[in-house]
Amino acid sequence: MKKFILSRLLQSVVVVWLVYTATFWLLMATPGDPFIGKKQPPPAVLAALRQRYGLDKGDFHAYLAYGWQIIAHGDFGPTISYANWTVLDVIRNSLPVSVALGALALLIALWLGVAAGVLGAVYRGRWPDIVLTVGTLLGISLPTFVIGSGLLMLFAVETSLLPSGGWGTLKQLILPAFTLAVLFLAYLARLSRASTLDVISSDFVRTARAKGLSPMKVIAGHVLPNASIAVLAFLGPATASILTGSFIVEKIFAIPGLGEVFVNACLDKDIPLVLGIVLVYTVLLVLMNLLVDIACAMADPRIRI
Amino acid sequence: MRQTLLIPSLVLFIVGSICFYISTPHQQGRDAINFCEAGQIHTLDPDKMTWMQDIRVAMGLWEGLAQYNPQTLEPIPGVAKSWKISDDGLTYTFFLRHNARWSNGQMVTTADFIFAWKRILQPSTAAGYVTMLFHIAGARAYFNSLAAHPLKHLPFSSVGIKASGPYKLVVTLAHPCGYFLSLMAFPPFFPLNPAAMAHFRAAAHGGVPVQYDPRWTRPPHLISDGPYRLAAWKFHQYLELRPNRYYWDRRAVKCAALYIRNFPDAQSAFLAYQSGAVDVLSFVPTRFAPALLRQQREHIRDDVHYRPVFGSYYFNVNCRHKPLNNPLIRRALDMAIDKRAIVKDILRLPDRPLEVLVPPESIPGYKSPHGLPMNISAAKELLIKAGYPGGRDLPVFKFLTNSGAAMNIRIAQAIAEMWRKNLGVRISIHEEESKIFNQDVVHGNYDIARAGWYGDYMDPTTWLDLFRTGNPNNLTGFSNAQLNALLHKASYQTSAVKRFALLHQAEKLLVTRWMPSIPLFQYSDGLMYNPQRIGGISTNVRMITLLKYIHWIHHPAPQTAEAPQ
Repeated sequence: MKKFILSRLLQSVVVVWLVYTATFWLLMATPGDPFIGKKQPPPAVLAALRQRYGLDKGDFHAYLAYGWQIIAHGDFGPTISYANWTVLDVIRNSLPVSVALGALALLIALWLGVAAGVLGAVYRGRWPDIVLTVGTLLGISLPTFVIGSGLLMLFAVETSLLPSGGWGTLKQLILPAFTLAVLFLAYLARLSRASTLDVISSDFVRTARAKGLSPMKVIAGHVLPNASIAVLAFLGPATASILTGSFIVEKIFAIPGLGEVFVNACLDKDIPLVLGIVLVYTVLLVLMNLLVDIACAMADPRIRI
Repeated sequence: MRQTLLIPSLVLFIVGSICFYISTPHQQGRDAINFCEAGQIHTLDPDKMTWMQDIRVAMGLWEGLAQYNPQTLEPIPGVAKSWKISDDGLTYTFFLRHNARWSNGQMVTTADFIFAWKRILQPSTAAGYVTMLFHIAGARAYFNSLAAHPLKHLPFSSVGIKASGPYKLVVTLAHPCGYFLSLMAFPPFFPLNPAAMAHFRAAAHGGVPVQYDPRWTRPPHLISDGPYRLAAWKFHQYLELRPNRYYWDRRAVKCAALYIRNFPDAQSAFLAYQSGAVDVLSFVPTRFAPALLRQQREHIRDDVHYRPVFGSYYFNVNCRHKPLNNPLIRRALDMAIDKRAIVKDILRLPDRPLEVLVPPESIPGYKSPHGLPMNISAAKELLIKAGYPGGRDLPVFKFLTNSGAAMNIRIAQAIAEMWRKNLGVRISIHEEESKIFNQDVVHGNYDIARAGWYGDYMDPTTWLDLFRTGNPNNLTGFSNAQLNALLHKASYQTSAVKRFALLHQAEKLLVTRWMPSIPLFQYSDGLMYNPQRIGGISTNVRMITLLKYIHWIHHPAPQTAEAPQ
């Protein structure tokens, strides 16, 4: 186990470096100049700005300088579009918002999704299963902005049951978390239905039934623990994509998260900010996958790492 | 093994709760006013700001030698209680009031102004509006010498800024400037507190100029001398402004707390306004504007405050490219556009079509010339005269517009159709992201491009200078000795009447003969707030809402003020 973790961590360093390199050169290859706005200052001012962000000595120099700054000082420097905030300030302020929203969405997706999946498997071919199949199909195929706007119209505009957006109270969290959860809920429902079906038809479940255990006990004690390993494996990538994919939800519900900052940083060609956010996301993804691999090994003795 | 799902759920719950706790704002008081800005605050460094929302907040935090009269925008005494202007219009003597104080209680003195002005004149400060200081004698030369030789530059004493004691400041100009006093109320001329910034100073060494860590603008470090102080700034959420108790005009500030907010898009901002989470919206959302204005006309609502502003929408024509370097073609293009139809059918707003560059009736004393009216047969004749009868042999022009506003592409399509039908001129429309669009326009990589401009000060030159040779904002590449001479002559004219006559002549030539830009319409914009509840909001053409005067008229019912956002 120790050896596995160590080698994975070493691999991660290479992955992070590759992501940094690819992001940096892609940013350099995209057209647009971060310092040219609507009003043009004198050339000396533009030159000073390029110098401040270390972009005056050529791209390769900037590639090395940024990399060194990150490794040696753990610092991404100041942002371009929010001049009074460093990249770390921005991440420190916005990431918790996205994480809080994402965590709640994952919780909803996890519990409702697994419950629905198990229900579908148990009642295979009967009406709960059909409702579930149609529901998951809708959940997977409807884009977030349709679900989000629909919920917004229904609960905030027409009935004023919930606030239309913003950040700060639990009430404001309900609509966006549910919107964000829908896609993952649908995936998890399908996933857990399939793996439950797999487990239900296996020998040990038949034995358990034969011993006279009640159907509830069979499901809870024998089926669910084995079926949820597939769900657990899905959580790693899901965490990463729920964090990076919350942009649209954040926009619809006016949530000050990292998703919106990230998209705007790309549009503004804010090189330090894009690099910083991409690297933070990369580290999160790598760590989540590692954690999930360890968790799977602990949950299922058949998995050897 | 039952923990398979329980453990991850527990982890998610704990992590989520902690993140939620640290990211939520603290509860605001019931008397706070929530002011929603049109965009994100980019910087609170008054030397570097160019965005309207930044400038509006800065005017609430700081005060210059002068401040604006909220209705007329005339300069009235600010930190300076009075001033004297010499007869030749070149020397301004400011007398600072003895009770002007910073938000930490220190006195505001001439040293604070000199510190700030010296800082903005360093090229390394990278101030977007540094050229505004070039009216001061020696300022341009000082800036240029610093840019050219950081180690061997002109001394600051060569700039016409002299203090005589802590309360008397003498400024010498390079040439008379009729609007110099009103610039004293604009952020690049605000004083800065050197003591508060000293902590963030990185020393100059070996050609590396003095720099300040930009975090000096964050609370509690930011010390300002205006109506408010910055109590809190939560990134991407809000700024909290509270009255500066040391402000000399403290009695005029009646709002106990002001929250500056911003939403990722106009729709969510409007929803927040409708639900009462926001009290003032600093814009009227374009998508809903026609319907909102109709309701206002029918007296269904009275909270839309919409008016023409000091900004215009126009097309830049690239005067460097053949055949558009021929003014006859540019004039033909202008005369073949039905600007009234653009405003009425595409914008569906009461904006005014424009034939001139400077929005008419905005500047007191300045009379706008008459531009070219729409005249298709005359436009056709101009094309014949230019050697392209019926638009034959003309290339397909590359038309550039920026994405982000649906209106831009609709206007471009409508005008493309007018040009095709009326003149036989064809364009290909290219829509680009703002950053790419700006870069292409600055590098002259276009034939015709959409443009918009908001005047920075109440003078025709804020538009006319756009066509002066050598101005970095001259995007059309237009260069004309006669225009340069007229502008130069006007800048040395002390009589306001004669000066405006010269500028009138320059604008007339620009819009009737040279036509480097094709004016389309004057922008309108507005605010939304309930006039029975909120008072002290000034309406003026420059959209400068002075936060100083905002206050409650009728205090809100508790339920509207309880939840932040």
